[in-house]
Amino acid sequence: MMPRWKGKGLQAKANADPMSKIVSQLQSSLIQFETRGLLSSCSVLVEVDAELADLLNRSCFGRPRITAQEDKQWFQLDMEEAFYLCFSLKCLKVIGEDGSIKSNEELWDYFKSKKLVFPVSYKVYSHLRHKNWVVRSGLQYGVDFVAYRHHPALVHSEYAVLALSEGDNDLNGRLRVWSDVHCTVRLCGSVAKTLLTVIVNSNNQGANSPSCLEHYTVEERTITRWNPERSREDQTGPKNGTKKGVTRF
Amino acid sequence: MKPRWKGKGSQAKANADPMSKIVSQLQSSLIQSETRGLLSSCSVLVEVDAELADLLNRSCFGRPRITAQEDKQWFQLDMEEAFYLCFSLKCLKVISENGYIKSNEELWDYLKSKKPVFPVSYKVYSHLRHKNWVVRSGLQYGVDFVAYCHHPALVHSEYAVLVLSEGDNDLNGRLRVWSDVHCTVRLCGSVAKTLLTVIVNSNNQGANSPSCLEHYTVEEQTITRWNPERSREDQTGPKNGTKKIVKDWCNHI
Repeated sequence: MMPRWKGKGLQAKANADPMSKIVSQLQSSLIQFETRGLLSSCSVLVEVDAELADLLNRSCFGRPRITAQEDKQWFQLDMEEAFYLCFSLKCLKVIGEDGSIKSNEELWDYFKSKKLVFPVSYKVYSHLRHKNWVVRSGLQYGVDFVAYRHHPALVHSEYAVLALSEGDNDLNGRLRVWSDVHCTVRLCGSVAKTLLTVIVNSNNQGANSPSCLEHYTVEERTITRWNPERSREDQTGPKNGTKKGVTRF
Repeated sequence: MKPRWKGKGSQAKANADPMSKIVSQLQSSLIQSETRGLLSSCSVLVEVDAELADLLNRSCFGRPRITAQEDKQWFQLDMEEAFYLCFSLKCLKVISENGYIKSNEELWDYLKSKKPVFPVSYKVYSHLRHKNWVVRSGLQYGVDFVAYCHHPALVHSEYAVLVLSEGDNDLNGRLRVWSDVHCTVRLCGSVAKTLLTVIVNSNNQGANSPSCLEHYTVEEQTITRWNPERSREDQTGPKNGTKKIVKDWCNHI
């Protein structure tokens, strides 16, 4: 499925300024400023200057929060975003309520206590981010994440992502029954996104520490509708978006 | 939420010909003709003449199937529809592969073996049908049933129904996580239906036989989006469709 750019010249703009480079700049900048995040329930709050605010916006990490301060800005990071910056990019440290810096293991335990499926959810988030996809919350679309090829201002998101765990277990809240498959595929279609399920196999490594993550394996599948009329032999080729598949992404 | 009738005169037509009466006619006609259904995997097939075909269509039971026969027509009934005609309306008997008529208990066991949630699903289906709602499969809308207050040709369906079982158990495949709630509410909104969850409590009666059903209790809840801007005090009243609430639905009847 080709990315749908939001206007002329935007694809060129994106190619000139790849997401990998923007994220790298963010990483350097956060390290340089020794930025500290504050743990707040299920989020991490960071106070940033104009330069960092711009990098956070361009790399799509966190959401700006309105405050009374004029020269500083606050951003709120989701659990997966914060942990990615701390653990994968190693450019952020998080301070707990007691004022001391939380180690990655402590942060992992904390997030797991807030969200039981965090290990699976994080594996999916980091897997996509590593591939330079922009990954945001998909809640308003009834999924876990939405994935964009570049900044949402430049391109429409192509994939609506559900994070699933291998095997039939309680971690999977979605697609357990056919009505949910129909519901999700239909909704994704109505917002011009392809449903992407990313299935994480923990390979019996458990989830005691973030070091377990590197032994998890990931399988990607798209689920789309198949229209028999559009898939007959006498046509020149498959019409875009109508082939049903469990296809490799 | 008021029913949306399909065109002028549909409401009058519906009022002149209430669904309860049509279903009653279907019941009499099936009894009189001693109709027998054939069990076929997850469906029951019935062979009917023109009069019964018309009644099945008007009461919205089953779907006509195309065959080579000219004077007879075949209808395919879903599990819940077939069991409603057999057990609740007592107007149909079902024959299995060996040619014998299945008792209600045998039919119950068979349908349960095909669909573990059948007891809960059937309780919801019969609960709504008893109130004279037309109940059809909701699969294309990502739900279990859709409910119309009369024939789908006359009115748009108002409710997208999800069947749930009381308590946190494996029978519940839906609405276990927030993303599913958002997904379902958003899809229902886009097809102009209200999400209605019907929660069945078996009251520890188990599901060994259909006689357990009468001890099940049912709770209806609608789930809709709440829009703060549209719900401020200084407006004359709540805008239709924007009040979020988990409220009792039976008051709507």
